[in-house]
Amino acid sequence: MSAVVRPGPAGVETRPAAVDPGPAAGSPGDRSGARPGTFAGPAWDLRTYDPLVTTLGPLPVVVFVFTTRDLLTPALIAAAALAVVLVMVRPPGRVLAALLLGLPLLAVVMTVSFGVLTDPHTVDGTTLVASVGPFELWSGALVTGLATSLRTVALLLLVLVGGLSTTGADVVRAMVQQLRVPYRIGYAALAALRFVPRFGHELEVIRSAHRVRGVDHGRGPLAGLRRQAGYAVPLLAGGIRHGERVSLAMEARGFGAHPARTERVRIPFRARDVVFLVATYAVPATIVLVVVPALARSAG
Amino acid sequence: MPTSTSRTSRSLTTRYLMTCAAIGAATGVLLVPANFVSAALASTVPVLYSAMVGLWIIGPVLALALVRRPGAAVLTMLVAGVISSASPLGASSILTCLMIGAALELVFLVTLYRVWSPWLFCTGTFVFAALYTWSAFVAFDAAAMATVVQVLIVVLMMGSALAGAWLGLLLARRLEKAGVARGLAPARTRTAAPVETAAAPSGTATAAESA
Repeated sequence: MSAVVRPGPAGVETRPAAVDPGPAAGSPGDRSGARPGTFAGPAWDLRTYDPLVTTLGPLPVVVFVFTTRDLLTPALIAAAALAVVLVMVRPPGRVLAALLLGLPLLAVVMTVSFGVLTDPHTVDGTTLVASVGPFELWSGALVTGLATSLRTVALLLLVLVGGLSTTGADVVRAMVQQLRVPYRIGYAALAALRFVPRFGHELEVIRSAHRVRGVDHGRGPLAGLRRQAGYAVPLLAGGIRHGERVSLAMEARGFGAHPARTERVRIPFRARDVVFLVATYAVPATIVLVVVPALARSAG
Repeated sequence: MPTSTSRTSRSLTTRYLMTCAAIGAATGVLLVPANFVSAALASTVPVLYSAMVGLWIIGPVLALALVRRPGAAVLTMLVAGVISSASPLGASSILTCLMIGAALELVFLVTLYRVWSPWLFCTGTFVFAALYTWSAFVAFDAAAMATVVQVLIVVLMMGSALAGAWLGLLLARRLEKAGVARGLAPARTRTAAPVETAAAPSGTATAAESA
């Protein structure tokens, strides 16, 4: 058996792939009060919460925001989500700058671009703001564009609540521990994280092999594209063969021999998760049922 | 390879899991830049954004066509989602990817995973593209858009989705020809590809030959 489980050409990648990579280096938890992978920390830190609560929890709200057409509801939900991100995630400076500068910019760009795309016939009776060549921009179309852009910003922020506070690896661990996804599937996904650097190495080998054999696609941008396309099949073939070798190595070490396994990182489900989950639905419900009608009454 | 396909073809063998993981990892690497580009396009030129859907189709179609087992698309897209959670949307890309994988696999579930011909892949892609177009119409409020734009969005989405499926099938055929994942798919109706590569365990040599 040991002759079969001989490590692949690179050799080094075979072993780490079979084990849980542990908390991913460079996880979003690096700068927070919580130590990454422990889920212990102050209650304000969203990184200590259950990854499923923060990623899957807002999903019904996301579906609801999809269906809104007014301006006020998505704007208020976006503000609430932004508040959660700012207070409970406290992203590092670069991400924060991208959020606070990028989102208003995104809203403006989308307002104009969707305003241009809006059917002019539906906004008859409003004023023409600008016209460049064949494109005309009507004020009514701008309102439609603004609604679309606010909706997109709200969706983006709702998704970022989970996106900025967890890693893919932690979501997989939570799926295994809490959603009872078979751990063989979960750990296959975790092992795949180690395939990515392996692909880089494989690409180098294939490039060298092509060069040694004098594979020539000619010159120019089209030939470059053909060359890149020529790497796809050998890269995938190498990747799949590597996966097969890793599977042998994993089985040789007893992967999947038992119905359950011990976890290196335990994902807790605590009172704070319940509170956050309730708030995830209570706040948008309050906005829709109480705040928006009240504001509409006072405006009308 | 110690896989007795007759006995274990119905279960989740580690080889099957890791093959899907490898395809999923490749898809995930492709999707990280695609997420960035599509985020930029969706805000500025939503019509072009709809032409990018095909990138999300290649991986699951390739996995289904190569492995021909239940769950291949969902598994591949789970891994792709985990890998591509390095993009701006973070871990939520897992959910997006899982939905795509499940939507693609729907038609194969309906046919009880017995039909693997290209037309079913096209049907599956069509079902997914229709679902996705509908959701995009709701999200972008496309009903308020000019008719030309609406038609363009639908045509581009369908076209790019079908192009992605075609590319996935092409890659699967090439990989099959190179002898990759041989014996993993249960009971092929077609005979194996005529090209007989030496079963060298050092994958890179044969991989380079298959270029």
